[in-house]
Amino acid sequence: MTNNDPIIQVRDLSFSYSGEPALSNISFDIAEKEFLAIIGPNGGGKSTLVKLMLGLLEPDSGRITIHGRSPRKMAHLFGYVPQDVNINIHFPVSVMDVVLMGRLRHRGRRGIHREDRQKAMESMQMMGVAGFKNRTIKDLSAGQRERVFIARALAADPEILILDEPTASVDTGGKTELYHLLGKLNETKTVIVVSHDLMIISSYVKSVACVNRSLHYHHHNEITETMIEMGYQCPVELIAHGQPHRILKTHGDR
Amino acid sequence: MIDALQYEFMRNAVLAAVFASLIFGIIGSFVVVNRLVFLAGGIAHAAYGGIGIAFFFGIPYIYGTIGVSLAAAFLMTAVAIKAKERSDIFIGVLWAVGMAMGVILLDLTPGYHSDLMSYLFGSILAVPAADIWWMCALGGITLIVTVAFYRDILAISYDAEFAKLRGVPVNLLYFIFIALVAVSIVFIIRMVGLILVIALLTIPPYIAEKFARSLMMMMVLSVLFSLIFNLTGLWISYSYDLTSGATIIMVAAAGFFLSLGVRFAASRIKKWRKKSAHRAAGA
Repeated sequence: MTNNDPIIQVRDLSFSYSGEPALSNISFDIAEKEFLAIIGPNGGGKSTLVKLMLGLLEPDSGRITIHGRSPRKMAHLFGYVPQDVNINIHFPVSVMDVVLMGRLRHRGRRGIHREDRQKAMESMQMMGVAGFKNRTIKDLSAGQRERVFIARALAADPEILILDEPTASVDTGGKTELYHLLGKLNETKTVIVVSHDLMIISSYVKSVACVNRSLHYHHHNEITETMIEMGYQCPVELIAHGQPHRILKTHGDR
Repeated sequence: MIDALQYEFMRNAVLAAVFASLIFGIIGSFVVVNRLVFLAGGIAHAAYGGIGIAFFFGIPYIYGTIGVSLAAAFLMTAVAIKAKERSDIFIGVLWAVGMAMGVILLDLTPGYHSDLMSYLFGSILAVPAADIWWMCALGGITLIVTVAFYRDILAISYDAEFAKLRGVPVNLLYFIFIALVAVSIVFIIRMVGLILVIALLTIPPYIAEKFARSLMMMMVLSVLFSLIFNLTGLWISYSYDLTSGATIIMVAAAGFFLSLGVRFAASRIKKWRKKSAHRAAGA
């Protein structure tokens, strides 16, 4: 664990969808330059937690602070890659224009300036999609769209990068490459990845949060029996990856 | 057609068609990419209540319909923002209530309402000069708002959540555009009637969407398509003495099916070319 002050603090957080509790009484800290994997079963509240951190949802009770301030005030620190990159797939919009959305209201400015285009180009080059910049979004494969969305999130050079299920539409080779890239970005940024793909834990992740209405925070990249029990479709993938060390611990021993 | 322009009503009709194309092309594109077609239909039909109110209280038609369609639009949008999943039901109810209110208020209004048909099917040839000024102003406002907020509108339409995260005032812009939709619809009612509003609002953008590579291009193309449909429809209705609203819609529908045919043929040719290129490479 790093020695810095936490960048994100969550205290006694609860949230429900029309009476149906989605998250209850969650508290944890995320340190600066952390690489956190949020895992858990479908419907367990992973995406909800992310949207609360981003300030897109308001908690029923409890609070979240980013550098001690409310998420809404700090929204500009986030680079966000939503779960569904195939929304509005037939929308007539070029790759460049999508990535430029990541520069909207950058430092409160309106309009698109030369610097914005430059930054957009840089993040597209980093994600290997610069060659597609004039294509429309519907002409890309799902994996390419994923990269475009990550480029969009990176365009404003965010302090915290949040990706919701980034590997859903990426093949195995693409996944390895993606994790490698996230590991590199983690040198300068806090990275939070929502995933039900345990493979990510083995490689670059520094800590793991298991979310299923409640939350268990593991300050190591260990894989516990509970994590596997929480409902991943694919312990097979784990084995295939040749996970060298499987430390099986139960919750609450930390 | 040229000699027909010596009549004032014909000049007004052509001007109305031009401004209408500008407004509908832009607003219609917004409606189509944001999937607000049902909401637009709801506003159009609820606006019929405004016609009832206008007749009943003896106020000018335009104030009644603009007032009611704005009120209905804001209610529907507020519900759509607050409770997205159920908003279609609410829109459906307002749709029906607006129409029913219009019918009942007209029942209660003494006198014979000869030109009611023109509200159902419109009559571009009867557009008064005052409306032209309204439409000119509305077209100007629509153009200015769209150009000034283009990047924001693009982001909201493509991914509203992300736009919100970037600090774009999503709900405010949404309300502004819905207001423009509501006011535009009042003028479309004048031209093609409330029954056919949805067709004229959606057909040109729908065709444009398939050929456009950006939202801006889609808006420009749908303004052009709309202009072609309106003027051709107007010319045919004048030449053959047909109801203008219905004629314009039939022209738009012809354009719609023509575009489907063109796209089908284009994809066939592409496939055939690929195949023959394959064969040439294989040989």
